[in-house]
Amino acid sequence: MKRLPSWAYGVISIFSFLVFWAVGIYFSEIKIVMPGPWQVIIGFLRSFIRPIGRHTMTVHILYSLMRVVPAYIVGSLVGVTLGILMGWYAPVNAFFRPIYELIRPIPPIAWIPISIVWFGIGEGSKWFLIFLAAFVPVTLNSISGAKSVDPLLIKCGEMLGASKNYIFRSIVLPFSVPYIFSGLQVGLAGAWATVVAAEMIRSSEGVGWIIISSMDTNDVTQSLIGIMGIGIVGFLLAIIMRKTEDYLCAWTIREG
Amino acid sequence: MPPLGGIYKYFMNRRFLNLTLSLLSIVLFIGIWHLCTAVLQIVPSNTLPSPERVFQSFIKKFTNPNPDGATLIQHTVASLNVALTGYAWALLIGLPLGIIMAWIPLVDRFVRPLFDLLKPIPGVAWIPLMIVIFGLGIASKAAVVFFSAVVPCVLNSYTGIKQTKDVHLWVARTFGASNIQKLFTIAIPTALPHILTGTRVALGAAWVAIVAAELLGATRGLGFMIQQSRGIFRTDIIIVGMFAIGICGGILTTILTWISNLLLKGRR
Repeated sequence: MKRLPSWAYGVISIFSFLVFWAVGIYFSEIKIVMPGPWQVIIGFLRSFIRPIGRHTMTVHILYSLMRVVPAYIVGSLVGVTLGILMGWYAPVNAFFRPIYELIRPIPPIAWIPISIVWFGIGEGSKWFLIFLAAFVPVTLNSISGAKSVDPLLIKCGEMLGASKNYIFRSIVLPFSVPYIFSGLQVGLAGAWATVVAAEMIRSSEGVGWIIISSMDTNDVTQSLIGIMGIGIVGFLLAIIMRKTEDYLCAWTIREG
Repeated sequence: MPPLGGIYKYFMNRRFLNLTLSLLSIVLFIGIWHLCTAVLQIVPSNTLPSPERVFQSFIKKFTNPNPDGATLIQHTVASLNVALTGYAWALLIGLPLGIIMAWIPLVDRFVRPLFDLLKPIPGVAWIPLMIVIFGLGIASKAAVVFFSAVVPCVLNSYTGIKQTKDVHLWVARTFGASNIQKLFTIAIPTALPHILTGTRVALGAAWVAIVAAELLGATRGLGFMIQQSRGIFRTDIIIVGMFAIGICGGILTTILTWISNLLLKGRR
């Protein structure tokens, strides 16, 4: 018992969860509406071959990713640029801060109704929402990144005769990278949650659609299959982001 | 001319310039909005109403239950009620779970994989399942809020406890403290700032989750209000609702920040 490898605990833990689920279903009234675990897992695997609605799981995931990725990239680029400038140049901060503070507390999900009015029910409204979901946290973290540059480093640079531009490029930017990455991480999780919500409100394909169409047809198995898909993709996105960060800023020491 | 020079100097200092810029940005923002909607009428008013119209609707919505059946206050109370119920459950379960996971390695090894599995699933995705299990009432929405808020509670209390310094624990052991004493007098106080940050993040998540849940199925609440107004093209009420959501979220966070500063007084 003492020296089990850590993956063994994971296997035991997940397996016992599934057994608990199966037993719970078997012995209670809930089995009328809830499927058992094996049914869901088999259904999930089968959804890659046999379509749910009009598409297979792979295509649904690709649809959702097609909505997330472009808007996320644009939102992050704008967020990083604006955030660094706001953190470093006080006048820029003074000018954009009030408008940013107006937008910041409104969750991206609350933009869904108005984005549908403005951009229609197509891809436009989803891109807009994901842009916001990425833009807000990335900007916030970039600001705090550029603000928390060690003043000693800047003074050293000035003493050694570096120009303002040079200090910005070679001290402020690299210093902010870890902060920016934590913003990117938060933004990516937010963007993924937002696309699910947006697809649940209005769409005809994508992982959010799997969930919402299961609500219309009262198919709990499909709902759980959708949850599995969303969870796995969200998990993979977070891992990719983390690996990129490890690769790009191998020199930082992550706290906590 | 010394006096004029003094005035010039006073007005041209950095802080004053920045304040002017901030004011200018607000004026420009509202000005352009006003110009495009009310004066030039480039955008139709049911796509983007003028700022005056939004302001009027905001005042009117406090007393007027039309067109969606409840006043702004009633909607806000309905949303807060559900959000805080779910949030309270998340605190009650999430914080002890995170603390126990960090304190007892065996629990950590068993619970962590399951937790990692459920963590990346956004709260919204649980909605249909929760409706099947808990029905259409407050319980299903509170459950969705719970799923969104519990993750930051667990994560932050876990990291907080893990940051306890070994030296402190060694000192306690030298003086013969029991495991429970070590937990309550060293680990939890060390973790308190982290835990409180977690509760703040969780509150934000809870507020977002309730809006999402109400967009999909509710008869009252701010999310319901904006979704309903979209159906009848009352864009002014959508914008009022968005601001109300933003303001409420801001107020909740401020209250919690104030409470945590009170709790943490003299610790840092």
